[in-house]
Amino acid sequence: MRLSPHNPAPALLLLVAMLGTHPFVGNAAAAQNQPGQRWFEDVTHKAGASARHHTRRFDNPYAEIMQGYTKLGAAAAVADFDGDGFEDIFVTDSCSTCKNHLYRNNGNFTFTDVAEKAGVANGNDEANASSGALWFDYNNDGLPDLFVVRFGHSILYENLGNGKFRDVTKEAGLDRYMNAIKAIAFDYDNDGYVDLFIGCYFQPINIFHPGTPRFFPESFENANNGGGVVVFHNNRNGTFTEVTERVGIHTTGWTLDLGHGDANNDGWEDLYVANDFGTDRFYVNNGNGTFTDNTESAIGFDTKKGMNADWGDFDNDGLLDIYVTNITDDYMREGNFLWHNNGNLTFTDISRETGTDDTGWGWAGKFFDYDNDGWLDLYVMNGWVSAGKESYVPDIFAMVTKPDIDFADARNWPPIGNKSLSGYEKKRLFHNEGGHIFKDEAARHGLDSTKDGRGIAVADFDNDGRLDLFVSNADDEPYLYRNILPTGAHWMGFLLEGTKSNRAAVGAQVRLTANGQTWLRYVNGGNGFASQSTTRVHFGLGKNTKITNIEIRWPSGLKQVVPALPVDHWYKIVEGQPTTNIQPWETKR
Amino acid sequence: MIRKLSYSLSLFLAVCLLSGPSRASDSDYQQAMKALGSNDFANALHYLESAVTDDPDNLRYASEYRQAAIKSKEFDRALSFFEKLSAAKPQSANLHLNFGFAYVDKIPVAGSITQVILANKALNEFTRAVELQPNWINLYTRGMSYLFWPKIFNRAPMGVADLEKAMKVQSPGPKKNYYVKTYLALGDGYWKTDQLEKARAVWQEGLKQFPDNQQLKTRLERQGDDLQKAIEANFDPNKRVDTDLRDLWTSSQN
Repeated sequence: MRLSPHNPAPALLLLVAMLGTHPFVGNAAAAQNQPGQRWFEDVTHKAGASARHHTRRFDNPYAEIMQGYTKLGAAAAVADFDGDGFEDIFVTDSCSTCKNHLYRNNGNFTFTDVAEKAGVANGNDEANASSGALWFDYNNDGLPDLFVVRFGHSILYENLGNGKFRDVTKEAGLDRYMNAIKAIAFDYDNDGYVDLFIGCYFQPINIFHPGTPRFFPESFENANNGGGVVVFHNNRNGTFTEVTERVGIHTTGWTLDLGHGDANNDGWEDLYVANDFGTDRFYVNNGNGTFTDNTESAIGFDTKKGMNADWGDFDNDGLLDIYVTNITDDYMREGNFLWHNNGNLTFTDISRETGTDDTGWGWAGKFFDYDNDGWLDLYVMNGWVSAGKESYVPDIFAMVTKPDIDFADARNWPPIGNKSLSGYEKKRLFHNEGGHIFKDEAARHGLDSTKDGRGIAVADFDNDGRLDLFVSNADDEPYLYRNILPTGAHWMGFLLEGTKSNRAAVGAQVRLTANGQTWLRYVNGGNGFASQSTTRVHFGLGKNTKITNIEIRWPSGLKQVVPALPVDHWYKIVEGQPTTNIQPWETKR
Repeated sequence: MIRKLSYSLSLFLAVCLLSGPSRASDSDYQQAMKALGSNDFANALHYLESAVTDDPDNLRYASEYRQAAIKSKEFDRALSFFEKLSAAKPQSANLHLNFGFAYVDKIPVAGSITQVILANKALNEFTRAVELQPNWINLYTRGMSYLFWPKIFNRAPMGVADLEKAMKVQSPGPKKNYYVKTYLALGDGYWKTDQLEKARAVWQEGLKQFPDNQQLKTRLERQGDDLQKAIEANFDPNKRVDTDLRDLWTSSQN
């Protein structure tokens, strides 16, 4: 269908879409791509999901200095916690008296904060600051449980299934002081239960009242005095055991993000660790419950400021690639990494060649197909501190060039005051142009905010096959962007449930073939800085209306072939169950 | 008077450059060249260190030494060598110049913060060289060095000042092919300090003097973002700057 003055139908459909009265429209919409047309609508306030974030202010001798390096904690995580078919959002705040938010999706693109009622609002106090969040089904009961990541003691809340949660941190064996900033969950040993990987920024000292001034990064490029990664094995009985050393994860870097994916398609999930102030790490899963540090051969030793690790097959070659943000500004030209997977457990950075290298002071960067054309696009957060007109750069470089300075001593770092550092940066929405190059379309779609962005949670909040965005901003209100894509591009999506595999099917890969083209998408357990996107598997299909093959590779090793299904629907697939008469999935409402 | 002094400095530089090897260093230099011919970097570096130690003001020896260090990735060895020798021979301007270049040589393989530290150290050595001998190569080098700094540090005006002096030094003497670099750099400096008209005037003048120079033509052909890209491509700290000084002794007069 073509959009023309003589054919008003597309415009009508667009209007209907914008009014939110078309849940479960099969074909996303029927209008065609018009240059300059905006495909996202900012519905933050209208949807009732606008509570602002507040950075933690410290009250210790180093507070003025810490202020410049702790503008963190604005995070968001998506899951359908109440099983009503609509994805909900957990959002963190960080000040000592601030409450976290659990935005329950009302099913009409409005949300209600039920955090207090659910018992998950109290994530902050004098001794703990919320810094991230992860939904994961630790007890395989089919209900996503909530892990609130904190500087201090993180909290595991069991989802009781009645709209309420229970703090089970201690009985789960997870009560430990960590300056944690990121958690992901995947089943590294394929025993049917997801395990917990926690990334920590500062080493495990009391960050609120440090007993020593030497708790800052010892180097800008090779710092090894950070918190690193802590791994907890799921004992399959509601408890966890710390196994970091045993599984071979040895890093004490300043970890900001973790991302897992199966780099060599051997059925075992590998791990990328994004470290600030130094070398990122790549761990290959040996398939026997251990990992090998393959950093040198896989990606080499970098000296950059890794902030994000998201995996996705951006060039549709059947291998998962990795996107990592670093710092790229006038004063520091690091460039991001777009690690193209070479298929032999090595990667090549092609960020420059693809135009994805410069996103300023980068934070979360997420792969998703916003226009359903079959190519994974990228949305990237950026900006560190947006404050006064004066720049903090000369202060930091005055420190850096002092001879024999001890960077680990916080007292040597200049206070930032009201100065800005890589502030007011415009976010980037990179449209994937056929797997070779990306074009920034953020301004066109109104996604070029200059707030200090941190996390991006991608999900289809109205189940219309068009992926929406929730963006967390430090010390500011978030953004909820509704995708109002008016093209006729087709799509298909899957909700996967493991039986022998972990119930949330984290790590499951889906290969979908149409018109000779095969796409690979998978269930990830929380990849990307300060955010967790949906665990549902979404495919943009472009003009394809006929699917010739769907293959699911479950973490258990089972390969399940699903007969061709009609496009433009979500489907629920249960591991090992007959797939001969699968109907489009519908919500319970 | 100033012009006369400048011309004298240029002449002095030329004499330094063209005086050619003499003493024991000559034999070491020849041995080093042989070693380099067979990619024997260990011996090449050894002989070149001997040659430079014996004749620290010899730009050719020190430049060849740094190029060998780059090829063999012996950046830290070169820095250590120059540090010790310049401490022993603090009045050798050419030694300080090469010491500064040794820092510059390491920048592309360093992390982003170390790049700043190296650039700052290089600048200190270039300043010492200028203080000892404000000749064309020292002024041009420090001027260019200033232009590499991000705008926030506001060092481009100092670069322009040095490059204007370098231009004065080169103007009265016989024209050398490498003098085109000053036209390019000074124009870039004007551009970086938002003096586009002056930048174009310098590039125009350069093109009169060096009508075949493609870089000057490119700058004059481009405008706006295209011009910015053309200029900034020359100031990317992740790209290796050509610090080989052989132009100084191989360049012919026009």
